[in-house]
Amino acid sequence: MNAFTTVAEFRSALRTWLDDHDLSPGPDHSLDAQVAQLGRVRRELYDAGWMRYGWPAEVGGLAGPAVFRAVLGEEVATRGLAEPGIYSMVEVLTPTMISYARPELAAEMVPLLLGGREQWCQGFSEPGSGSDLASLTTRAVPHGDTWEISGQKVWTSLAQYATRCVLLTRTAPGHDGITAFFVDMDTPGITVRPLRTMHGVDEFAEVFFDDVVVPADRMLGRPGDGWRLAMDLLPHERSTCFWHRIAHLYTRLDRLLDETDERNETDDAALGAAYLALHTVRCRSHATQRRLAEGARLGPETSVDKVLLATAEQQLFDTVRDLLPGVLELTDTPWRSEYLYAKAATIYGGTAEIQRNIIARRLLDLGRE
Amino acid sequence: MDPAEVELLAETLRKTMTAASGPALDAALAELGWPELLAEYPEVAIPTVFRLLGETGAHAPLLNDVVLHAAGRPQGGAPELPYAGGRWVVWERGADGGPGGVLDDELPLRTVPTGNPVPLAAGRRALGWWLAGTGRAMLSLARTHVLDRVQFGRPLASFQAVRHRLAETLVALDGAEAALVAADDPFGSLLAKAAAGQAALTAARHCQQVLGGVGFTAEHSLNRHVRRALVLDGLLGSSRELTREAGARLRAEGSAPRLVQL
Ligand SMILES: Cc1cc2nc3c(=O)[nH]c(=O)nc-3n(C[C@H](O)[C@H](O)[C@H](O)COP(=O)(O)OP(=O)(O)OC[C@H]3O[C@@H](n4cnc5c(N)ncnc54)[C@H](O)[C@@H]3O)c2cc1C
Repeated sequence: MNAFTTVAEFRSALRTWLDDHDLSPGPDHSLDAQVAQLGRVRRELYDAGWMRYGWPAEVGGLAGPAVFRAVLGEEVATRGLAEPGIYSMVEVLTPTMISYARPELAAEMVPLLLGGREQWCQGFSEPGSGSDLASLTTRAVPHGDTWEISGQKVWTSLAQYATRCVLLTRTAPGHDGITAFFVDMDTPGITVRPLRTMHGVDEFAEVFFDDVVVPADRMLGRPGDGWRLAMDLLPHERSTCFWHRIAHLYTRLDRLLDETDERNETDDAALGAAYLALHTVRCRSHATQRRLAEGARLGPETSVDKVLLATAEQQLFDTVRDLLPGVLELTDTPWRSEYLYAKAATIYGGTAEIQRNIIARRLLDLGRE
Repeated sequence: MDPAEVELLAETLRKTMTAASGPALDAALAELGWPELLAEYPEVAIPTVFRLLGETGAHAPLLNDVVLHAAGRPQGGAPELPYAGGRWVVWERGADGGPGGVLDDELPLRTVPTGNPVPLAAGRRALGWWLAGTGRAMLSLARTHVLDRVQFGRPLASFQAVRHRLAETLVALDGAEAALVAADDPFGSLLAKAAAGQAALTAARHCQQVLGGVGFTAEHSLNRHVRRALVLDGLLGSSRELTREAGARLRAEGSAPRLVQL
């Protein structure tokens, strides 16, 4: 494999490779099939090296700038090779492992994730702790060189497929009393119960922990580092993942254009508005990618990216419903599930209201509520 | 120009724009070398100068220069400029505005029956930066007000409904500026002007609301910025018209152009 010096070189070689290696998904759109397809895509891309660019050598990467990962994800989304939401989970999980896991643990585990051998999940939210994540109560108690974990997580995406979980627990009161672990999902005492979702793709689950014994060397960081870990992963979620999602949304706008009557001018205002919102978040995300490349530390300003993206996504699918009257209500179409899924865009990853709270407090410096 | 030079330039411009407006500012900027700056470094001149016009609330007929420069015509004139609704205007040089004409009566805009087509992209970017600056000015007035004014024993800034309006304003402005930074072709410039017009109108709506009664008085400077945003939005195509035009283009092409690339 060549070492690439520019994004253009990387993209063009990647495109050539993808043109020669058909990774298109099959006709089955079930979640099982989507997850299997995701594993296949990651494995092929990893074995050919593509999935390893932009990650450090210590975790099996081939180095190179992080922007290569954004380019790869954009190609994957544009070609519809994998569902972008679950594809992008590596962008959150891998940096967490690099920053917080013991180096040997990260070196051993990350290639399993990047290489499509395993799925992992992120156990943060609990029945009593959603937006107020710092109130979480799943307890971890030390016993010699192990910890015993008890409690419940909820809305845990892909938990039913996951081999490991990045889990937040309580080890002491307050923000400084949150501690993260990297837990094997086959440990005795863990029960996963998939939840039905509104859009019919049952992607998340409840996860119960009953006296689950976890070795102390599976702690991520030190006791009390869990809150910082949770905050550190937000900028990752909002840079490369967002670029992937935006690429995916452009494909949906293209599809809408395919399905609308090209002689009908009455829809121009709505099409233009949906496009303008997408273009705006693409420009914003582009600037964020550039800052990342220049070594900037991303912070609360990424809440702006998040609000722009969630708003653009919902506007796009509302436009789909308006411009294709009756289609998603009355026919068997992929639009239905995607339209419904867009409703979650202002909930997951920090709700729209929480983003505005952050913007008001941290960016506008308006003081406390 | 390196960032330090741009910073220095911006400081000088800000001082000049705070001290003078209209024909006097036009003359002062000519003296400072605006025509040369525009000719040599348009990618610095346009964002810096026009954004500052918005932030300071000053005005000068510089849009004429941007349009003439793009058309390869000599500086100093006043071409007819297309306005929303198929109208045409001229931004007069050496004149002050006056009551009875334009909604923003500081601006010496005169309607004319018709005009000749002019290149639009650079002018749209310039107006976009101006609108973004105007939005920033409104946000800054509103922010100061909500921190200072107390009701129910608390600063207005502590009420979530107020905070969310200002957060929404910042999101719109940051988004528009990202689109302006990325605009390097005619379609990108059209989109950036549309985003900026929309953002300035969003700022006007939210900032007006959180300023309450005082923001409705003629003394308070908010209304000047609101008027400016409304008038500038229509120049070289309103956000509503430009958005519709973008939609028509998508429909004709059958796909959504990805204008910015990594
Ligand atoms: C599709 C999907 C996938 C998810 N995947 C995962 C996952 O993999 N792992 C995981 O840990 N979690 C996951 N979540 C959970 C997600 O992070 C939470 O749903 C989210 O943080 C909101 O928490 P909540 O649902 O308890 O809502 P609540 O916090 O109860 O909020 C309900 C409403 O109240 C508003 N509200 C709450 N607090 C405030 C406030 N201070 N000011 C103003 N308004 C407020 C909220 O904005 C919201 O509108 C997922 C959620 C969804 C929908």
